[in-house]
Amino acid sequence: MSHPTDDDLVDLALGEKVEADRSAHVEQCAVCSASVEQLRRTLRLASGPLAHAGWQAPDDAVWARVAAQIDAEPDTPADAGPAPATVAGPDTGPATTPAETSQPRDERPSGTDADDRPGRPANPTGPPATAGTAYAPEPVPADATVRPITAASARATRRRAAAWGAALVAASLVVGLLAGRAIWAPDDSGRVSQVALETLDTRQREGEASVVRAGDGLDLSVVTDRPLDAGDGYLEVWLINTDGKRMVSVGVLRPGESDTFPISQDLIDQGYVVVDVSKEQFDDKPAHSGDSLLRGQLPA
Amino acid sequence: MHVHEDPDVESAELAVRLIGGDREALAEMYRRWSPLVHTIALRALGTREDAEDVVQQVFVAAWRGRATLRPDRGSPAAWLVGITKHRVADVRTQRYRTHRNLQALASEVVTEPTTTHDSDWAERLLLVHELERMGDPRATVLRMAFIEDRTHDDIARTLEMPLGTVKSHVRRGLLELRDRLKEVERVASD
Repeated sequence: MSHPTDDDLVDLALGEKVEADRSAHVEQCAVCSASVEQLRRTLRLASGPLAHAGWQAPDDAVWARVAAQIDAEPDTPADAGPAPATVAGPDTGPATTPAETSQPRDERPSGTDADDRPGRPANPTGPPATAGTAYAPEPVPADATVRPITAASARATRRRAAAWGAALVAASLVVGLLAGRAIWAPDDSGRVSQVALETLDTRQREGEASVVRAGDGLDLSVVTDRPLDAGDGYLEVWLINTDGKRMVSVGVLRPGESDTFPISQDLIDQGYVVVDVSKEQFDDKPAHSGDSLLRGQLPA
Repeated sequence: MHVHEDPDVESAELAVRLIGGDREALAEMYRRWSPLVHTIALRALGTREDAEDVVQQVFVAAWRGRATLRPDRGSPAAWLVGITKHRVADVRTQRYRTHRNLQALASEVVTEPTTTHDSDWAERLLLVHELERMGDPRATVLRMAFIEDRTHDDIARTLEMPLGTVKSHVRRGLLELRDRLKEVERVASD
């Protein structure tokens, strides 16, 4: 006879009555008995005692680490289709131009995108939303992992990195890789290295950052070609580590001006070489808002 | 957040988008399933640091290996759990290698009560997740049948539902859960 139906196999697994010829077949048939065994195992696993105390969400910073790690490496799986940097996904409807997904600008027209991106979340430092599930994000324990870091506490960095995740998601939709074309130019002025600062979406050059020797330390000098719009907030300069996991705030940039911030060789040596200018709100949140205006990576 | 009627359809859409290289699909998968991945890893490894490293590795691996995702196999959750099992096993191997490291040993001992070496943990938690995600009345029927161990007659009476409907939910539900486990196995045995 032919194999019994799935329903018969389920009934056998559940110990329900099944017509004799069918159960006889299953005893003889390796495929069917394996199938019944699989169903029994499923049943055992689903019904077994489970001291399940609820879902525990990872720290917000973990997503930032994922996004950064993906950004930090060239991504060209042979069969993975077009990269999001250049072409909108096959099922996202009309192609989205970089201008439309331009994240850092407040004047971004609304309603251009059916499923809104998390680039500018209402609460940028909050945990990633758990859509459609009952997961309750739990508070970060006081003894949360501490990763060594030079210029800021690990906790603060993790919080910053959290917001960073949103920024990376938004940025990576159009950019894919960190922007920044580096120029190696040691010169008389004591300039060690410099990099053009570019917008994340269109890679428009809008300024320059340079590391300048200053006495026994280093200064990071940031100059913008034209005043950046801080809206109701302010501009903050960050150094992001190439590991994508860590960042430090180096100071507040006054709009329309150049500014110089003391940094250390140590930071550079540890890989904090991605200069980032973000727009921040006066909201008591020390974290990166996720709203990056300009970025560039200093040459090694 | 947009709402879809059928979570399976939406999951399959997510899978297709991920395979096509849509980063936002990965972000959405992270929002949905990072607690599942993290809880499994935490349960298996005992420390938050290791568990979060596993979460990171799993979603990076998911991105790199997105071509191996099979939208026809249902929810990507099972696929992620398969990857999680790999990563957890890697961390454990690494721990045993550094067994002489007292600190590692100490952490293993300290965390023993909360960890489990039951290799089925990942699957169990996936099934809990799938039962939570499943819509009613099927979810309720399955919970009563599997967890509360009530008879189909009892369930039919309690829910005022025809007996045939109860049986049908149990059958379909069990087959669906079985398919999830098969998917975990497929990925974890790679």
